[in-house]
Amino acid sequence: MAETEMVKKFKVLNEYGIHARPAALLVKAAGKYECDIFIEKDGNKVSCKSIMGLMTIEGYPGSIMTVSTSGADAAEAMAEIEELFVNKFYED
Amino acid sequence: MGIITVKTLWDEGAKALSLTVIAGEQYLDRKLPETAMNRPGLALTGFFQYFANQRLQIFGLAEFTYLKSLSDKDKNKRLTELFEQQIPGVVVTRNRKVPPEIIDLAEQYKVPVMRTPMVTMNFVNECTVILEKLTAPQERIQGTTMELMGIGVLLRGDPGIGKSETALSLIERGYSLVSDDVTEVRRTSRGRLVSWASEVTRYHMEIRGLGIIHVPSLFGVAAIRRQTELDLVIDLKKPTGNEDRTGIYPEMVEILGVEIPCITLPVRSGRDMANIVEVAALNQKLKELGHDAAKELDDKIIDRLTRGRVRHG
Repeated sequence: MAETEMVKKFKVLNEYGIHARPAALLVKAAGKYECDIFIEKDGNKVSCKSIMGLMTIEGYPGSIMTVSTSGADAAEAMAEIEELFVNKFYED
Repeated sequence: MGIITVKTLWDEGAKALSLTVIAGEQYLDRKLPETAMNRPGLALTGFFQYFANQRLQIFGLAEFTYLKSLSDKDKNKRLTELFEQQIPGVVVTRNRKVPPEIIDLAEQYKVPVMRTPMVTMNFVNECTVILEKLTAPQERIQGTTMELMGIGVLLRGDPGIGKSETALSLIERGYSLVSDDVTEVRRTSRGRLVSWASEVTRYHMEIRGLGIIHVPSLFGVAAIRRQTELDLVIDLKKPTGNEDRTGIYPEMVEILGVEIPCITLPVRSGRDMANIVEVAALNQKLKELGHDAAKELDDKIIDRLTRGRVRHG
């Protein structure tokens, strides 16, 4: 099985940052994929499949998050997560 | 529900209301178009411009005292006028002797006359409750109802998903069964939902592999409850990956026109559903007390995040 690894940086663009609703969207998106997905900010790294983790990394509006995916479907997972960040988690 | 008859009330409430038929027993099937009661005192004075003739007419102390003050001629005239209004039935309270005029008129106008030893006020209160029950919108729903610490939970889901097994685990934890698999629900006049079990299968459960069991015989009478108000609907489903993850935006379902919170729980083998249902019920209780944990946490996070923007920006 082809192992893919991807790393991308995203800016938090929505008004309130990563609160419960965006966190839930990220977890739901990540949960669909087999690969490992992590989000890192200021040295804090949490699984993108953990809602409690995402709510503790303090994704302020305007802050930069580093997303890393590794596994067979890493590219697809990254694309879906990118969509959420770019579209401001469909808020505002 | 359509129009009920006096007989419907009689069948349901004769015992509770201590009713006996004094005259016109064969006319009990008269329709009761308005499921309410009327004290005909004002009509007996001759005022018929506004008279609730579609309601059950209650003769209490006031009516009898007034009738006594009339001459025989007037008494007969007024009572005849009253029966001419095609009233559905008469109830005499306090076990008063029914005047022969009323018995004659009842036969003539085909109206049932009943009597109760109850005081008028108590009779009206009791009878109102029974009438409301008879006319409340009602529905039979596929689902198991449990009562957990005063919280009524309706478990729904496809056959074989584990409703009864979940209920059984909850009973073992000390909670009470209301109905298994088939639940009767009615809407009260206060807009609440009340559920109970069908008479025949009440307090029985079917557990796959075991067959039918009688819950109070096995677990004691504390394990059952006759009825409960519904606070929460829980849908047991096969996992879809699309389940709610925060609980901030609760789903609602409509039953008999009443909106009620609904949680969808994914069932995986080995998952302790009873435990989760228990927590869901507790959380619902907390919400009803005005404490929504998910919402409060989200508000706290938003507050921190937006203040962070000021600090960082």
